[in-house]
Amino acid sequence: MATYPRGNSRLRALAARLSGSWRMSRSNFELWANLLVIVAAAGFMLWRGPGFAISVGTFVAIWAILAVSLNLLVGYTGLLSVGHVGFFGIGAYTMAILTSNPAYEQLRTEALPIFAWPFFAVLPICMAVAGLVAIAIGVVFNRFRDDIFVLVSFGFAVIAFNVFLNWEGLTRGAFGIHQIARPAIGPWVFDGEVEFLLLVVFFLGLVVLACWFIVTSSFGRVLAAIREDEEAIAVFGYRVVHYKLAVWVISAMMAGLAGGLFASYTTFIDPNSFILLESILLVSIVILGGLSSIWGSILGAMAFVLLEEGMRFVPFLPTEFIGQARQVVLGLLLVALMLFRPQGLVGRYKL
Amino acid sequence: MYRDGIGRLPAFLKVPGTRLLAGVLTVVFAAYILWKIGQSPDQALQFAFNGLAVGAVYALLAMGFTIVYSTVWFFDLYYGAAAALGAYGVFYLSSQETLQGRYEVDNLYISIVFGAVTGGVVAWALREGLSPRLRRRLNFKALRVVEGVLAASAGIYTGFLLAYPDNLNLMLSPVIGVLIAIVVGWLLYEGFWRIMGRAGVRPFTLAAPGGAVLGVYCGSLVASTTEFNLYLSWGVSCLMAGAVGLALYRGLYMYMRQRARSPLIMLVASLGVLLAITALTTIVFQPTPKPLPEAFASEPWIVGKAHLKGFNIFAIGVALLGFVGLLALLKKTSFGKAVRAIGDDEEVSKVVGINTTTVIAVVFFIGAVFAALASILSGHDTAIQPRMGLLLLLKGWIASVIGGIGNLYGALVGGFALGLVEQFGIWDLAGEWKDPISFILLILFLAFWPKGLLARR
Repeated sequence: MATYPRGNSRLRALAARLSGSWRMSRSNFELWANLLVIVAAAGFMLWRGPGFAISVGTFVAIWAILAVSLNLLVGYTGLLSVGHVGFFGIGAYTMAILTSNPAYEQLRTEALPIFAWPFFAVLPICMAVAGLVAIAIGVVFNRFRDDIFVLVSFGFAVIAFNVFLNWEGLTRGAFGIHQIARPAIGPWVFDGEVEFLLLVVFFLGLVVLACWFIVTSSFGRVLAAIREDEEAIAVFGYRVVHYKLAVWVISAMMAGLAGGLFASYTTFIDPNSFILLESILLVSIVILGGLSSIWGSILGAMAFVLLEEGMRFVPFLPTEFIGQARQVVLGLLLVALMLFRPQGLVGRYKL
Repeated sequence: MYRDGIGRLPAFLKVPGTRLLAGVLTVVFAAYILWKIGQSPDQALQFAFNGLAVGAVYALLAMGFTIVYSTVWFFDLYYGAAAALGAYGVFYLSSQETLQGRYEVDNLYISIVFGAVTGGVVAWALREGLSPRLRRRLNFKALRVVEGVLAASAGIYTGFLLAYPDNLNLMLSPVIGVLIAIVVGWLLYEGFWRIMGRAGVRPFTLAAPGGAVLGVYCGSLVASTTEFNLYLSWGVSCLMAGAVGLALYRGLYMYMRQRARSPLIMLVASLGVLLAITALTTIVFQPTPKPLPEAFASEPWIVGKAHLKGFNIFAIGVALLGFVGLLALLKKTSFGKAVRAIGDDEEVSKVVGINTTTVIAVVFFIGAVFAALASILSGHDTAIQPRMGLLLLLKGWIASVIGGIGNLYGALVGGFALGLVEQFGIWDLAGEWKDPISFILLILFLAFWPKGLLARR
């Protein structure tokens, strides 16, 4: 007697036919999770109009770049890093400082060096700076694993935040940096929201492609082996240390890219965007969406932003506490996921 | 099995100079400190005292963290939430009294939630502690009913206690009176019995009235003195934080540990708990920093040119007392023996008949109480805010790593060492750099000296 997949197999067959990449071996739960998030996102966009969709979409895309890059570490290599927001911040501050505009100099209390470089020249520099910092840190952090690695990555996030806050000659400390330039190609400035959304989605596509390439290559298979058993793969002659360092640096560079985009999009950054809590939220996005799954990270970023919008429906909740209410829900979701579904919504790897 | 989570040094770092580098760094820091002390001994005394005061908080955190970590071997991040809960408990209970009602926190939900938690914990305690002893003598069903009634009344009592924080002393006085009566009565009974034997007066006839009189006196004293409110609120909020920790272990972590594949799964789950509790604290108490009322408002002692605040000396004393108490608990009692056995091997200790669930739950209670105590002590020194829990938790981790993970002596030494290094480190830098200093210290220690100052035997 032939065995059929459990659950609503007709629905899954439909999904397989519609999407092309959907495999019948995926569970019903994944299908419902995907449907729920996508339908909720579409519903919100229809309800709130295109302006909402564009501004929220940009944030989702930036979070998704961060989440995909962190998934390389957490999901594919098994390094639970809570310090990712440090690289994000390094990218953002690099962008803010290097594109700084002399026209607004009188607003600044501290004299900042003026560069006024173009956006597209600075974006690679953001990645390079984040990568260089990652090399310096990775050499030391390579030694740690499991919960000690979590501890030292907490440390990196705290140190980075304090550097942003206290190195006032460079970052203006708590005042933040205003009037960060929008990207421009010649006379064409990306000051419209739609253009910026397209730009961010383009970079998200690049990051996803890069991740997909890494994950499906032999390099990615070594990473998965490191995640499963570090000693065993070392016995086979692979230099585990080099692989971990490489993926750490790649992931940090992607976070630097996201930081550059973020700084240019919001045109104002201050250290409060890069606190430890943001990093924890980022980790929970990755775990919520699904470990070891690129689409899962994007889904997680969508769910994360939608959760905040969904909180507006909660009765008796003052609007200033919406972020906090989302944190409560996210925390409870994390606990429930760890109990019942340790791989996240659509993940491939159980923590 | 990876308990320490520290692999081998990468090959290209394994140069013979690393040990030398560590030694040179230590010597340079020591020389810097000595040079600074030579420059201005008075200021050095002040910094050393501040370092000890901060170190006392870190030592308490590290001790609580160590006892939990060396029993269950996973990082419990609820610990940070316990710290925040402790500090905000004091704030909530004493805000109307000492801050002249400027902060109105009057929330029914707080009473309900903590009442429910207390009721659950009392029910659990009765079931674990009382039922096995009385099961033979009493009707089983009647016992269950009695337990239920007792637990429910404890929960309702706690709810009322939290609903009227103004009259904390009035509400708590009967409990304190009864507790003191029981303790004094028991002491008298035992004393008479030991000294006189069963001859002469019946011990009970003396012990019962003696305990009762002292209990009534202390109860009425507490009821009539509103100055006790602050100190009572310390106790209440520590117990509340501990009760939440116990409930969390018994209600959640226990089931999770049975199916957890790696320590990371527990870490992420407790991260979720931390996120939720921190956010709830923020919603209830607002995100802005709040002051705690002044405790021991006395003139600072002046030694040389250094100002020594009485409260800081008290904090150091509490840390030392906590250390001695925890050490006695671990080394002298059968409970401590069970804790150490579980830390060595949980399966085997289950086999030899230790009730691991109960013991670990009590360990979680103790750990959370230590965290709450530490955060209260630091909260009276500086302001409190909902985010403080995470930072205090990290400082406790760092202190225990510096001292040697899983070692109680190490926790004490590491806490004070971390406090001293932080304070001496910000001598020339600004005060804002003390968090980076402690994390750089952590990374240096993990890189060069991963076993800490005192390695676990």
